[in-house]
Amino acid sequence: MDEHWLLIAALAAGTLSIRLAGAWAGQAIPAHGPLARALDALPGCLIVALVATSMLTGGWREWAAGAIAAAAAVATRSVPATMAVGIAAIWALRHMV
Amino acid sequence: MRTEQSGDGFWAGARDILPLAAGVSVYGLAFGLLAAQAGFSPLQIGAMGALVYAGSSQIIMSQQWLAGAGFAGSVVAGLILNLRLLLITASLRDVFAGRPWWQTAFGAHLAADENWALLLAGRARGRRVGYAYLIGGGLAQMAAWCGSTTAGGLFAEAIPDPRGLGIDFAFTAAFIAIARSLWRGRSDLLPWFVSVAVVFAGVKLAGAPAHWMLALGGLIGAATAGARA
Repeated sequence: MDEHWLLIAALAAGTLSIRLAGAWAGQAIPAHGPLARALDALPGCLIVALVATSMLTGGWREWAAGAIAAAAAVATRSVPATMAVGIAAIWALRHMV
Repeated sequence: MRTEQSGDGFWAGARDILPLAAGVSVYGLAFGLLAAQAGFSPLQIGAMGALVYAGSSQIIMSQQWLAGAGFAGSVVAGLILNLRLLLITASLRDVFAGRPWWQTAFGAHLAADENWALLLAGRARGRRVGYAYLIGGGLAQMAAWCGSTTAGGLFAEAIPDPRGLGIDFAFTAAFIAIARSLWRGRSDLLPWFVSVAVVFAGVKLAGAPAHWMLALGGLIGAATAGARA
């Protein structure tokens, strides 16, 4: 068995362990109280942290396109529409400005 | 066991993820090229997508392997990037509640940033999306990921540059839209602000790696919400 299959097996086993540990922890957390409130707030916090990390690597064009995408998100509440506006905005800013 | 209404089940999950899967495919082609350079065969590239199913960690592991980081260094770099998946599957507890272990394990394996976020955004808007929706989105995107990465490994020439097309920004835009759907009102303001502030402070001031700060920012923001009575 060559090294590349071992790399795949190690990353696959580690990643599945992380996913299963999360699923188990989610079931183990009580339905009410501070931990439950934290878990309810977690998705939104994780998503804005995700957006923040991707904006960090960008310059003013990415920030401007992000603001345009946010306006599109508020106006349309649609994921595909926001993606289309965001791609169009960043393409125009990178190629025309 | 919860049953989903028609329109909120497996095929709705597969349909809703299509624009995101299209963007993933462009990255898949580019990753296939990288993985081929790192010495993975097309069969191995396709198998990796199905077995690991965490694209950014596959990219980092292949990059590190190509850069000579060694076996453990390459694998650990990929796994650090996947720590956020622990938080993602933990937050799916309603979806997994009361299910047999193998369904939970299958659903957890198919949980990725995109189908997880779409499911939560759908729920925030009052749709009755659940396990079948997660599986539908996960399998559809896995097909796009495995197909495009294998194709990238096979046809290493003529791969479009995601950045030149603006596709790199497509995911940022998608997550902005999903954040809009997850907004529950003013009580979210402080936790969200804390999450973003932790990411910025950690990366800009302390010089910490962005993927560590992503998980830490999400955790500290959520803890802020939990600490409030």
